[in-house]
Amino acid sequence: MADQPLVRLTIEGVPVSVPQGTLVIEAAKQAGVMIPHYCYHSGLPVAGVCRMCLVEIETTPKLQIACATQAAEGMVVNVLSAQAREARQGVLEFLLINHPLDCPICDQAGECELQDYVFQEGRSRTRYTPTYAKRFNPVEDFGGDVLYVPNRCILCTRCVRFMEHVAEEPILNVSERGDRAYIGIHPDRHLDHPWAGNVVDLCPVGSLLSKDFLHKARAWELDKTPGVCTGCSQGCNVNLDTRTDVVVRVRPRANLDVNQYFMCDHGRMQYRWMNRGDRIEAPLVAHGHELAAVSWDHAFARAAEIVRGTAGRAAVLASPRASTEALFLAKRVLGRFDLTAAFRVQRVSEEAPLIGVPNLALRSERAPNVTGATLLGYTEQFEVAVKALSGSAVVLVLDDPLEGVSADLLRAAGQVIYLGTVLPDAARAAHVVLPIANVAEEDGTFVNRDQRVQRYFQAKVGPGMARPAWWVLGELLAELKLGGPFGSAAEAFAWMAAEEPRFGGLSYQLLGTRGMVLPAGRPAGVGA
Amino acid sequence: MAITVKTVRRPEGEVSYLRATLKGMVVTLSHVFRPKVTMEYPEQKSTDDWTLSPRWRGTHRMLTDEQGRAKCVACGLCPQICPANCIKLVPGEDEEGHRYPLIYEIDEFRCIFCGYCQEVCPEEAIHVGVHYENAEYERSRFVYDLERLCAQTHPVSTLWDPSDPQGE
Ligand code: SF4
Ligand code: SF4
Ligand code: SF4
Ligand code: SF4
Ligand code: FES
Repeated sequence: MADQPLVRLTIEGVPVSVPQGTLVIEAAKQAGVMIPHYCYHSGLPVAGVCRMCLVEIETTPKLQIACATQAAEGMVVNVLSAQAREARQGVLEFLLINHPLDCPICDQAGECELQDYVFQEGRSRTRYTPTYAKRFNPVEDFGGDVLYVPNRCILCTRCVRFMEHVAEEPILNVSERGDRAYIGIHPDRHLDHPWAGNVVDLCPVGSLLSKDFLHKARAWELDKTPGVCTGCSQGCNVNLDTRTDVVVRVRPRANLDVNQYFMCDHGRMQYRWMNRGDRIEAPLVAHGHELAAVSWDHAFARAAEIVRGTAGRAAVLASPRASTEALFLAKRVLGRFDLTAAFRVQRVSEEAPLIGVPNLALRSERAPNVTGATLLGYTEQFEVAVKALSGSAVVLVLDDPLEGVSADLLRAAGQVIYLGTVLPDAARAAHVVLPIANVAEEDGTFVNRDQRVQRYFQAKVGPGMARPAWWVLGELLAELKLGGPFGSAAEAFAWMAAEEPRFGGLSYQLLGTRGMVLPAGRPAGVGA
Repeated sequence: MAITVKTVRRPEGEVSYLRATLKGMVVTLSHVFRPKVTMEYPEQKSTDDWTLSPRWRGTHRMLTDEQGRAKCVACGLCPQICPANCIKLVPGEDEEGHRYPLIYEIDEFRCIFCGYCQEVCPEEAIHVGVHYENAEYERSRFVYDLERLCAQTHPVSTLWDPSDPQGE
């Protein structure tokens, strides 16, 4: 874009310069003016069907649609002039003729663009008689997670264009015409494309709904926290929507370098485990054959005693769902041992790409931090590490679910320190159990498959005494006089950046909410 | 110095209590023949020229539809507007898949009877009532659940003048 010539224009009295070919609606964003729109979406091809974006362009006799008009030198655009407002008011009036106005039972209420624009510039009263019989069509199940409420549809065709041009599986269309038009689905097909859930986010009104979220919460009750999807190594940017400390929905967060505006359905449904109730709520220390709850100080003292009092071989069994910080610190705790650090990851045979977006797919390795673990020297030889357990003096488990690892195998090792969110049966063989927060309850970073380091933020509070793994490991390091403690995830990351050359020069501030790719020239490590 | 006592003689009219007593009885007797202004609560609750205002805001009542089900669709507006934060609502679905409150409770102790819930309700479901007799034997009984709110029979408040709906 940089080498393209700039054009200068004035929008609502604000002068802006934009590269040639920019649409007026995009140029207006630069001028700080939001032109009302329905069918336009930056991630979809332009359709120009809703006429909501009508604006007045001086020297052009008729009103123009801002989403399909390119900015030109010297253009003067009036968005709020009486003529433009009147035209848009007319568009809104047409949209409302057959709209059921059932906001009280509509899941979109509170984040609905029809509500917003009618409130902003619509007529306050209808000109239809109260007895006018509105068009009615029954609710239709589109399959997958999607429900279609035709009465609310404003026929913007965003859903149709997504399926046709982005997913490239054109199974939606506009059926019938005129005021009878509705969105039709191929009679033999369901919306079961692995990325079909995006049509629910794209729909500007409550016409396409998620069955999973149906009637669950009102938009204004939700707190949104930026996060990173844990579904696979693509690392789509998401928002976690929480209501009173329960994650109720995951939606994509725009990041043009990773997932644009989309996320897959697999990732979208990956949130229930964040609300698990069977969590470890206090540090536990083995007394004989029983685990007893103790204070953090006591647990750290006991864990430090274990690490200090042993020597020889040690193992870290880590989860590729742990934050980069935790993975780094876990190895540091056992720094002076002969260390085997391993993780395991579920791999499926096929990727599910979103064809219309380059380099975006539901990846086959189904964990968010495989690359982070590999960069930090963890190997995927989990089985080898498990076999070697019996000769290890210390084993540190970092949130691995221990499936297939029996308590007896763990008992064969010298001493076991278990950091986890839940307590699988095998973990009862541990000598010290330290409760940690899950991904929704802590700040941290993941490294995606393209070596992009991305931050995620704390969305809810952890249960009981559970603390972020970086804090727990930082305190343990401090107890061992090896570094730490850390007051924040940012401090833990800063220490890692100082110690680990691959992360050199990075900081939480630099990463921001979009993340940064690790400096080039360093070998990638994805795949075994 | 010797103490001297001065004796004052009051006029007869001032020292006699009889006059004042009689005067008082005249006032009392004169009231017997004046019109009565008290009401014999609780036997009598309103009179011809005094009754509770139709805009009185008292304990709530949930209106029901023809089948006796609460009109509420669990839209979440009343818990949002309530300045006392005393409405608890958990939305869900009924047997026919309609949006319906699974839990709807109002803590009448915390309520400040502002009437906002009635004003905001798009379904004309929840109302403040023209009602004030709320005595209970237990504090917990002041949290009204959906069943109890629907079972109330008292008239509901008219928050605005029906002949002037735009007026304040
Ligand atoms: S269902 Fe939604 S996205 Fe699709 S055309 Fe209707 S309003 Fe637009
Ligand atoms: S592609 Fe992966 S990261 Fe993206 S939404 Fe799906 S599971 Fe999540
Ligand atoms: S009357 Fe006011 S305080 Fe009471 S429940 Fe309604 S909104 Fe809340
Ligand atoms: S405002 Fe009315 S419909 Fe909405 S939740 Fe309250 S009582 Fe129910
Ligand atoms: S947004 Fe321009 S016509 Fe729809």
